[in-house]
Amino acid sequence: MDKFIFHIQRFDGEKKWLQRYELPYEPGKTVLWALTTIKDDLDPTLNFTSACRHAICGSCGIKVNGHSFLSCKTSLDELVARFKTTALTFEPMGNFDVVRDLVIDWKPKMEKMKKVNPWLSPASHGSKSDGFIQSKEEADAIAKPTDCILCGACASECNQLDVNDGSYLDPFIFNKAYRFLVDSRDNAPDARLKPVVENGLWKCLHCNECVTQCPKGIPLTDQIAYLRQRSMENGERNNQGARHAYAFHDDVRSKGRLNEMMLPVKTDGVVKTVTKKIPFAYRMIAKGKINPFHFPKKIDGIEGVRKIYSENEKERV
Amino acid sequence: MLTYDVVVVGAGGAGMMAALSASENKNLNVACLSKIFPTRSHTGAAQGGINAAMGNRDNTDSPERHFKDTVKGSDFLADQDAVEFFTKRMPEIIQELDYYGVPFSRDENGKVAQRPFGGASSPRTCYSADKTGHVILHSVYEQCLKNNVTFLDEWFLLSLVVEEDECHGLVAMDIKSGEIHGIKAKSIVIASGGFGRIYWNRTTNAFNMTGDGTAACFEAGIPVKDPEFVQFHPTGLASTGILLSEACRGEGGYLLNKDGERFMKKYAPDKMELAPRDLVSRSIEMEIKAGRGFGEGLEAYVLMDLRHLGEEKIMERLPQVRELALDFEGTDLMKEPVPIRPSCHYMMGGIHVINPETLETPVKGIHAAGECACVSLHGANRLGGNSVADVVLFGKYAGIGARKTAEQRSFSGDTLLTEKATEWHDKFHTMRQKEAGKSLVEIRNTMAGTMWDNVGIFRKKDEMVHALETIEQLIEDYKETFIGDAAIRYNMAFVNYVEIGNLLTLAKAVAMGAIAREESRGSHSREDFPERRDDEFLKHTLIYKEGDDYRLDHCPVSITSYTPEERVY
Ligand SMILES: Cc1cc2nc3c(=O)[nH]c(=O)nc-3n(C[C@H](O)[C@H](O)[C@H](O)COP(=O)(O)OP(=O)(O)OC[C@H]3O[C@@H](n4cnc5c(N)ncnc54)[C@H](O)[C@@H]3O)c2cc1C
Ligand code: SF4
Ligand code: SF4
Ligand code: FES
Repeated sequence: MDKFIFHIQRFDGEKKWLQRYELPYEPGKTVLWALTTIKDDLDPTLNFTSACRHAICGSCGIKVNGHSFLSCKTSLDELVARFKTTALTFEPMGNFDVVRDLVIDWKPKMEKMKKVNPWLSPASHGSKSDGFIQSKEEADAIAKPTDCILCGACASECNQLDVNDGSYLDPFIFNKAYRFLVDSRDNAPDARLKPVVENGLWKCLHCNECVTQCPKGIPLTDQIAYLRQRSMENGERNNQGARHAYAFHDDVRSKGRLNEMMLPVKTDGVVKTVTKKIPFAYRMIAKGKINPFHFPKKIDGIEGVRKIYSENEKERV
Repeated sequence: MLTYDVVVVGAGGAGMMAALSASENKNLNVACLSKIFPTRSHTGAAQGGINAAMGNRDNTDSPERHFKDTVKGSDFLADQDAVEFFTKRMPEIIQELDYYGVPFSRDENGKVAQRPFGGASSPRTCYSADKTGHVILHSVYEQCLKNNVTFLDEWFLLSLVVEEDECHGLVAMDIKSGEIHGIKAKSIVIASGGFGRIYWNRTTNAFNMTGDGTAACFEAGIPVKDPEFVQFHPTGLASTGILLSEACRGEGGYLLNKDGERFMKKYAPDKMELAPRDLVSRSIEMEIKAGRGFGEGLEAYVLMDLRHLGEEKIMERLPQVRELALDFEGTDLMKEPVPIRPSCHYMMGGIHVINPETLETPVKGIHAAGECACVSLHGANRLGGNSVADVVLFGKYAGIGARKTAEQRSFSGDTLLTEKATEWHDKFHTMRQKEAGKSLVEIRNTMAGTMWDNVGIFRKKDEMVHALETIEQLIEDYKETFIGDAAIRYNMAFVNYVEIGNLLTLAKAVAMGAIAREESRGSHSREDFPERRDDEFLKHTLIYKEGDDYRLDHCPVSITSYTPEERVY
């Protein structure tokens, strides 16, 4: 291998094009090295954002061959090995407005984030002059979610955001809601739970793309599951999402697995499914996200699954 | 014309604390302007922690001891009135941050956990694992959102509009649209961070740490104080300069030379690896010079060994550090020692502040806080964990100061603001049209190489004079450079062009201050003057810019409690 070839998506506010650049191969370099070297040596009109260069500021996310990465911590050698080519395509992250070239706009995301009241509502056992007492275990609960660097990789990968009308909260916003919900110093659970339910909590597709690409390993889907559980405990049962959860429950009980094709019908009712969900499903099918020909059969050992359910139900009574 | 009562330039720890405290007066219209999205600010890179004498881990600790350690660490150049003001209030600020939601690590009593740091007589560095700056930055940002502070994200300060020591406002570019605006303000807080990028890649600093606010103040007639004091952090990764936190040494890491010897026993037998940064950095360079490092020349390094801490402690206290070493040096520090070398880290000097309680500068209406400013809290050498502390505390008081200033002043200077905005607009236009000239990248790289080789860790007169001449030549070359991008929208080539101009302006002040200070003190280490010389140099450097000329002056150090003595660790 003697050179890298990069196809970089350019955008000047009106038109979009792919531009080709070449750099001599060097081992052990990062994507950010490629971008800065191109800007310094080949083309000063190329624009991207970066700051810390060590995976803490969150500014350097881009898509490489369709997947989102932090360019400062992503090694070119690994990408070449993974995609089995020295020709890489760089694009701005998905589900963001693009300003120029690889530069995206965060302002609208922050406006959306305000819906979950992303700030501590201090509980009464603390004060500005004495702070709080918080146990190590309580502090552990917020250690992981506060690792989020707002890089947007999760949002860029999110399949629901991709097809959604814009109201769906970005995974990092669910993380923010979760972060305050589980903070022992916070006293405003409703200020997080209500807005997440109203903004698509039950629409998450469990595709796990967000978790896979998060450079900080934040368990976003576990958090979404937790938010759902808390919202149901909070009496948010009679909404579409909670009905979805019960449909899920029934499917697994009867067949031992989920019938993705039938879920929308049970959740929304037939009329709504036909008018609202089918176009959506088309888009999903077109993108290869769901397989319309997949009808679940009973899995082996369904008796075991049913037993788990009935044991569980006995315990609850 | 855009008009705000208070404009804060910078959205790092200092800027956002200032915006937050200024916005406590609901009648004031407060804007916070930042060239990068707020949470990208370099405060987020601070790993190790923030100093405050809480006494949570060691109940004999006190603000007085923090005061004394800071003064000693500063090699007696810090202003003691400022240090005392600071150390007394730090414990309150930690409680305040706790109340804002900062996820501090906790001790067994549920209080904020503390760890030892270099140059401190007690374990007083509060932390959140090794992401302390990151969580503080995000929490303070959240509080600003709560207080409805207006954020002008990706707006770039071009210059301050000052006439006869009165400030009317500033000129800034909205990078996304490329529009240039005059902004009228009753008071301004400059909180634009440091300028470690005068060494370009040989620094732990982010790409954008280019000292724009410091340069703008300098151009507006405010002197730069003590620019010769540049901190080199001992533990930058050998190949990239990326920082491994002082927490590594704080938690008990060893420094080893090629013979496997813990060489710090020769330089600081008592404190060993926990001696202050200036001393440890020099010790590493001495080992390398004496041929006891690995590799040669710019590639040389020594090792830091953490293996004896055990995997559990490393994963609990230093998880990010481990990841950094893995990602950027390819070394798993649980299994092998990691190659390190000093890297430019912090600027002790900066905008001359004349009152530590209000953070005023000599120009009416301009306040300054954080790394861009010189209060002077750190004197000739900053202690680890004292900068994030500095930014939140003095950021807060700058916000209060600016609020009071705004309450007393009225808007002025419309014509002048319009004129200055037009000048910048024309300059932008000219630079966009220009198609050839000297290479900006070459100018930048020559500056960085010259500064590293001649105004680095060890300094001598003739080398520094050579550096000064080179920088002056580069300032001439800069006038003939071009940017190569004709776009209006998001023209980073133009932004980088202004940034490099600012770096050159400041690099010259660093070289000048370093040549004039014929002594060794703190981070400023002269081979030709190895001793500290209190009789002549126990004073601050002030450099003024008058047109194209630089003028050197001095001002006294405030000494209230501790008379200078020899500094041994
Ligand atoms: C890797 C690293 C680790 C560190 N670890 C520690 C530590 O553990 N403990 C400690 O105490 N200190 C530490 N420090 C030092 C400390 O982090 C910094 O000194 C401090 O955070 C600076 O904060 P600030 O608010 O002054 O500036 P910054 O956080 O750097 O923010 C500067 C702001 O100014 C804005 N700005 C700059 N120029 C312009 C312009 N022209 N127009 C508009 N806006 C502009 C930027 O956008 C940014 O928002 C560390 C530093 C580094 C580099
Ligand atoms: S799991 Fe949910 S939130 Fe994550 S990417 Fe998929 S749809 Fe989006
Ligand atoms: S959750 Fe992960 S991927 Fe998403 S913004 Fe935060 S750090 Fe980035
Ligand atoms: S440059 Fe900061 S995260 Fe990549």
